[in-house]
Amino acid sequence: MVFVLTAICAVSALVLAYANKATKPAREYQLLKYVEEPSIRKVLKGYDNDPIKDRIEMIVGRDKRGKPIKKIIFPAKKNGKIIGLAYASEGQGFHGSIEVMVGIGMNGTITGISIMRHSETPGLGARIVEPAFTKQFEGLKLSSALDLSSRGGKIDGVSGATHSSEGVVSAVRKALKLFPKAKKEVS
Amino acid sequence: MGLAREFTKGLWDEIPPFRLVLGICATLAVTTEAKSGLGMGLATAFVLVFSNLLISMLRNLIPKKVRIAAYIVVIASFVVIVELLMQAYFYPLYKTLGIFVPLIVVNCIILGRAEAFASKNPVLPSIADGLGIGIGFTLSLTLVGAVRELLGNGTFFGIHVMWSSFKPFSIMLKPPGAFLCLGLILTVMNWVSAKQKRR
Repeated sequence: MVFVLTAICAVSALVLAYANKATKPAREYQLLKYVEEPSIRKVLKGYDNDPIKDRIEMIVGRDKRGKPIKKIIFPAKKNGKIIGLAYASEGQGFHGSIEVMVGIGMNGTITGISIMRHSETPGLGARIVEPAFTKQFEGLKLSSALDLSSRGGKIDGVSGATHSSEGVVSAVRKALKLFPKAKKEVS
Repeated sequence: MGLAREFTKGLWDEIPPFRLVLGICATLAVTTEAKSGLGMGLATAFVLVFSNLLISMLRNLIPKKVRIAAYIVVIASFVVIVELLMQAYFYPLYKTLGIFVPLIVVNCIILGRAEAFASKNPVLPSIADGLGIGIGFTLSLTLVGAVRELLGNGTFFGIHVMWSSFKPFSIMLKPPGAFLCLGLILTVMNWVSAKQKRR
């Protein structure tokens, strides 16, 4: 009795472990395709490749145990030539972190940003997702202009939500600082 | 009873969930549109066929006392495989079905067929039984989904088919709508059966 049940469970475990491993690449692809691609489409325009399929993993640092921290870079290509990169970046908002997809052209200017995940206050901080705010980033480079207007930059924060706006700005700045490295990685 | 009979009984005489009233939970929850009904039905049919096959093969090995536990392990393994396959190839469908994919494990149709049929019959009839009941369940779910989608949203498989001034009955998309739809289809089925008998 015990033996049969043990044998069945053991076989089941083996089969499932195999199935898990066999479907892993396909599952990762689908997850990125349906969760990240809508954002990529918003921040990069005019590409004709599949940025999910062409994705590259870049090591951006190491955690406390020395394990590499990876970041996934999505290159946008047109006629086989890379026209821009998109990757996610994080900033600290008023309630937890804000995840932003940033699209950057090969000359280092922002082609667009899209807020992927946030937990800001509805009606106040949550308004960072509105195009009125995100559109302001387009065409900017990593310079002093890329900052809130209260600090001499060109971006008008969402009124009543300075923390949330700052979170987005710092996420975008972080992404741009990483750009030279990412550019080297893809070429 | 021949193989063909084992197969066809699942399509009318014992069609779930109308004749074989099991698996109602899945029926009520996922049939808000024809597409998710079809997807759920196919996922259940897959698990049903393979668990019937395996349980029928192992029927003389599994001790009586632990048979339910053994069936559940077999069924759960196939459900996890279905879940992984859906995540890998039909992600949007997986998203709409959500928690109801893992819940196929506790779908009474599967355990019911394992206990009532596969554990007592050879492999081939068990596969035929699983296929029949599975396809029957898929047809029912698709039908219920289609009716609810048509009346509740004015679409069929996502394509708009109703006239423009048509006002959707939003109740059809809510759980009571599933009961209404189930009852109406059962009425039609009983009417047809009664007519056949009289002849």
